[in-house]
Amino acid sequence: MPTRVDGATGSRKRKTPKEAGVPSSKRRAVADNQPEDDAMDEILKLEEQISESRKYYNNIATLISMLNADEPGQEPNLLVAVSLCRVFSRLIAGGNLNDSKRAAENEKIIVAWLKERCQEYQKALVSIMRNADTSSQVTALTLCMRLINERVTHIPSADSEVWSSGLFKGVFEAVVEARDGQVLQSEFVEKFVQPYEDVRYYTFVQVSEYAATERTSETLEILISLLSHCDSAPSTDHKFEAFYIKSSSTNKRLTSVNSHRKRAQDAWLAVLNNNLSQSQRKSLLRIMAHTIEPWFSRPELLMDFLTDSYNVGGATSLLALSGLFYLIREKNLDYPQFYTKLYSLLDSDLLHSKHRSRFFRLMNTFLLSTHLPATLVASFIKRLSRLALNAPPPAIVAIVPFIYNLFRHHPICTFMLHRVIRDQNFQKELEKEGMDDPFDPNEPDPTRTDAIESSLWEIETLQSHYHPNVAAIARVISEQFTKQQYNLEDFLDYTYQGMLQAELGSGEKPLKRIPVVEYQIPKRIFTDRGLEEDGGLDTAPGSFMRALWDFS
Amino acid sequence: MPPSQLKQLKSSLRESGVLGPQQSKKQKRQNAKTGANAHERAQRNAAVQAIRDRFNPFEIKAPGRRVKFDATTRDGSRAELARVRPGVTKSLGEEKRRQTLLKEMNQRNKVGGIVDRRFGENDPTMTPEERAAERYARESQKKLQKESMFNLEDDEEEFQLTHKGQSLAFDDANQDDFEGSDLDMDDDMSDSETPRKRKRVFQEPDGEEDDMEDEEEEKPERKKSKHEVMKEVIAKSKFHKHERQMAKEADDDLREELDKGLPDLFDMLRGTKPPPKPEPPKDDTASMNPERAALLQGKSRAEVEKEYDQRLKQLTFDKRSQPTDRTKTEEEKAAEEAERLKNLEEERVRRMRGEEASESESEESQGEASEDESVPDDAVAFGLQQPDNQPDNQRSSRPEMGVEDEDDFIIDDDLVETRSDVSLSFDESDIEDGMSSAQESEEHEEDDEFINGLTLPESKEGESSAPADKEEKADVLAFTYPCPEDHKSFLETTKDVPVQDLPTVIQRIRALHHPRLHSDNKQKLGRFAAVLIQHVAYMANQPGHPPFAVLENILRHVHSMAKSHPESVSMEYRARLREMATERPLNLIAGDLVILTGIATTFPTSDHFHAIVTPAHLCLARYLGQGALNTLSDFATGAYVASLCLQYQAVSKRYMPEFINYVLNALCNLCPSESGNDLGFFPLRKPEETLRLSTTKPINPKKLQFWDIDGPESHREEEFKLCLISTFLSLLDTASDLWAGKSAYYEIFDPAQKVLQHLHKSCKGKITTSTQDTIQATADKINRHLSQSILARRPLLLHNHRPLAIKTAIPKFEEEFNPDKHYDPNRERAESNRLKKEYKRERKGAIRELRKDAQFIAREQLREKRERDAEYERKYKRLVADVQNEEGREANAYEREKRMRKGKM
Repeated sequence: MPTRVDGATGSRKRKTPKEAGVPSSKRRAVADNQPEDDAMDEILKLEEQISESRKYYNNIATLISMLNADEPGQEPNLLVAVSLCRVFSRLIAGGNLNDSKRAAENEKIIVAWLKERCQEYQKALVSIMRNADTSSQVTALTLCMRLINERVTHIPSADSEVWSSGLFKGVFEAVVEARDGQVLQSEFVEKFVQPYEDVRYYTFVQVSEYAATERTSETLEILISLLSHCDSAPSTDHKFEAFYIKSSSTNKRLTSVNSHRKRAQDAWLAVLNNNLSQSQRKSLLRIMAHTIEPWFSRPELLMDFLTDSYNVGGATSLLALSGLFYLIREKNLDYPQFYTKLYSLLDSDLLHSKHRSRFFRLMNTFLLSTHLPATLVASFIKRLSRLALNAPPPAIVAIVPFIYNLFRHHPICTFMLHRVIRDQNFQKELEKEGMDDPFDPNEPDPTRTDAIESSLWEIETLQSHYHPNVAAIARVISEQFTKQQYNLEDFLDYTYQGMLQAELGSGEKPLKRIPVVEYQIPKRIFTDRGLEEDGGLDTAPGSFMRALWDFS
Repeated sequence: MPPSQLKQLKSSLRESGVLGPQQSKKQKRQNAKTGANAHERAQRNAAVQAIRDRFNPFEIKAPGRRVKFDATTRDGSRAELARVRPGVTKSLGEEKRRQTLLKEMNQRNKVGGIVDRRFGENDPTMTPEERAAERYARESQKKLQKESMFNLEDDEEEFQLTHKGQSLAFDDANQDDFEGSDLDMDDDMSDSETPRKRKRVFQEPDGEEDDMEDEEEEKPERKKSKHEVMKEVIAKSKFHKHERQMAKEADDDLREELDKGLPDLFDMLRGTKPPPKPEPPKDDTASMNPERAALLQGKSRAEVEKEYDQRLKQLTFDKRSQPTDRTKTEEEKAAEEAERLKNLEEERVRRMRGEEASESESEESQGEASEDESVPDDAVAFGLQQPDNQPDNQRSSRPEMGVEDEDDFIIDDDLVETRSDVSLSFDESDIEDGMSSAQESEEHEEDDEFINGLTLPESKEGESSAPADKEEKADVLAFTYPCPEDHKSFLETTKDVPVQDLPTVIQRIRALHHPRLHSDNKQKLGRFAAVLIQHVAYMANQPGHPPFAVLENILRHVHSMAKSHPESVSMEYRARLREMATERPLNLIAGDLVILTGIATTFPTSDHFHAIVTPAHLCLARYLGQGALNTLSDFATGAYVASLCLQYQAVSKRYMPEFINYVLNALCNLCPSESGNDLGFFPLRKPEETLRLSTTKPINPKKLQFWDIDGPESHREEEFKLCLISTFLSLLDTASDLWAGKSAYYEIFDPAQKVLQHLHKSCKGKITTSTQDTIQATADKINRHLSQSILARRPLLLHNHRPLAIKTAIPKFEEEFNPDKHYDPNRERAESNRLKKEYKRERKGAIRELRKDAQFIAREQLREKRERDAEYERKYKRLVADVQNEEGREANAYEREKRMRKGKM
């Protein structure tokens, strides 16, 4: 078969650099010390003997015993591992591990014995991957993958067995569970998962299998990072070409986009349905839109996860919002009480959270619809302005234009800015008793808060905010509404740092105007200096500080 | 059939009365006598002209376009105007061409020649007699006018050529010789000159004659030139003046005489005689003018004049000649000071409202502001205290007037006080202010006087003998210090100086590098101010906790230098803030707090926008909003920052959300137990480990100390928590007063109310009753404010704007519509259309004119050619005739001869 021949030559070709690598390590060893040099010579000799004749097959057992993979505290002999890999590759390529019914009894015995050795060797490699130091782990991974390649190429029947239950499963588990496995994992992702689409496919399979049972959050962390580092989802007309094993290109499952997506979807779902920690949930929600959702051919499967997250409250809800919105819009998800839920998200921490701008962007899309009842929009406006009273300047800067836009879209709400009392009786009552805010902040239903009966005193108060720019922005609501709309995007990404930078500048630029200096030099700043001259009564500026603090 | 043309003419002539029956001789004579003759002739001429017009249909051209109805056109007169007389215009044009074009044509291809510019030459309208008369008149006129001083020929009397004062003129006898020929020349010259002037008049064909006539009429008056007339007038007025003066003097003399007699008269009236007064020597000389007096005293004329000059000079340069400032009374000074303070306050309020003047105005106002701050400020302070010897600090930009200057302030640092006493806070009434400052000034008077005796270079000596209590220190300290360029060198300089003496060192450096001593010093002091700011922060960061008196003194030095070097001081403050914002925005240290306190006193924190105060605000708010909340020292720092916030807002009362968040949060975190229910919209942040008050024995809270920001000692932690609680309570208390006027007061302080209630409840039994009372008092106060704010609350009425006008599309109606006028609303287009039309018209006209010119030239050439031909023809004929004559004679002679011969024979 031509493919097989191709595979064989290919494998030999791939081996060449490895063989070139061995002498170099030998040279290094020579530089180190003599006994190791002897050991290497011996290993090479054993290896050569194996290739020479069958009678030296016992050398395999010797070599495996020389691996000392299982003994703790001892470094695995990588040279042996490499040479064993070469031996097995040669044997597999030579068909020595193939079962054939026609073969003689003693042949079968040899094959069985060789298979046993091979299993033994694989186990040793996997255990190296789990426990050894980083460089050995990486080498073992490479050797394993080579072996997989050889086996799949030359033993046609071994295909599914190797990938799903055999060696690859072991390799995957070892990668995930390896001790100090960061390097190993990144190596695995970079060298195998990302470049080779078949490896990725089987990785997805493994992940979904692996995450089917409850796992610890650290393991899940690894799985999440593994999955999120996979390439972005293939488009429908994607051609799968990069295969680790050449023969895979004939495999129908491996060349169809849908099956890939299906596997990925299963893998993600398995992870999402596991017991995630809160921070993992957040980070998953954060990458939901651009990393996870594209893999899903049926995004509605995410619904459970998203609604669960949405109900958690706080920042998690904020993050779930965009995914949920996607489902509502695209997949016709019916989410009852959506606006009530949205309203409940407007709590005291919202404006201090770092997802503030993300939330504002979404809320902008939710509330801009002119079909919404004015009472509901008014509730949102009022609630936001309440929050603005305790908000940092960057948030106020975003809230006021947002409110302005809402007013433009729902002009009925402008009663909150300008309400002329025509009822004489009410007028009198107002004169007598003043006005209590009709708005009920504790009402969870935004259509019943009576916010539209209220006024935006909060924003009016913010017109005397300490920061001149914020005060100026707050002033737009009391000016004539001549602007059609504010571009919200321009107001979202402010921070304290940015505002300070804007005020102070970065370099020593001369000031445009010389700042005014207080014209009187205070008599005292910290101390009671010269107090008796004023009759012991401290009324000068700063007396408040001196009364409150003891400067000594 | 109409009658023939001739018949028509005859009849029309008869009708108009041109042709009438013959008048008798008697009648004619009578008419000539009464003048009716002339009148009749004029009438006849007009009639004849009308008939002529009527009979020549081509004389008048009908308008090109049909006249429209009156309803469509406004100007009915246009029809009349449009009637053109082509014959007349043609002949006019022809005439004009003949005068200009023909002349040019004849001149063409001709070079040189003599142009006759004599007056009246080439003027066909003048008779030779007139010409001569005019020439003569001009000649005589010119002699009188003497228009040019360089016209040597005309006026030998006035301008003579001299050499070393000797006239170069010849003797009279010799002069006579030239006169004859001179005169002739004069004539020629004048003749050749005048036409040149007249030629300009000639260019305009119209009015030429009128001018001429005018001149001719004016001629007899011109005999006396304007100059002469003026001279006469002046002489006359002088004469009159002199006469008036004489009369007045006579009157005065008379009056004086009478006055002299008056005392006698009084004496006589009283009947007694006063003792005779000793008469002042030379009484009258004093009353006389100095010149006359001197003359009387018999001085020489030169001396007298000299004296006169001197006195004149004295008078002009006398100080008294300028108006002086009146010495102001106490009330005026107080009023002025009050006015100054009012102005400054108004300025501040304007800045607080953020009313930035427009660019040009702002420059002005800036100028004014700086004026306000330097000159009047000082001037008024000057006036308030002892006017002559009260030194004060001021900007170096002030004009240097004398000894009073800033270094005096530097020498005696107490004077800073006197200075600031002048203007205490605005809370005090002006009177009180004035009084206290007056007292103050008296107290310091001796020092002031002492200092004022010093001149600038001696300032060091002045310092060495400065107040006695400083004597010992001054002995140890050096008197001269270099002005440090950067903080490192300042540290180097003051390495050995004890902290207490630092103010003295700074004083000396400032005195030594006063801007008036060297031009570079201003720059140096600017850098020094920056170094001082760095040093304040540096000192506060030292573990040794320097005394606040020193820090305060340095800050005040910085403030006083900020007045003269606002640029460098503010740049340095901004640099400090920048460092704060980039390196430790959430963990402020002692130095930062001192700098922020310094900013609060040095700059007006109430300004709407201020290059330093605004970022400082942001720094404070950022710390309160995001700063660490893990230890008690964090809370102490927070409490200090929060109090700074309130101090910043003491005047402008602006709302700071971070402040209220922080204070409530801190109270919640320090409160002995956690609140179960929701307290409000402020975000709750919790420290990593609980810092709740857990004391069981009641302690009285004390005032917090500044250095508590480093955290309390371990054994007095609980006490410290209590101190913090009471500090936060009083902060909340002050803030509730500060923001009582805000429309959202209820929303702001409702959570505070809840927090206080919770605090009150959970602290029960754990703290002393006095502290409990404070909590209760604060809560009551807030309650009171809350109910007031509800009472004062009205629905918002923010949009009392005039509604915006909808764009209208009503057609514009023109009251006085004229179809000939173009009503193009676009001015530019209308203008360009007008210009285009004008251009077209001009172009057409020019083409027509050129064509006519060409026709005229052709005609002229043809005429010339014909003339030439005719001339030739005539000549030819004459020659032929001559020849024929000759030949005829010869033939006759031949015939005679022949006949004679024949006859002979």
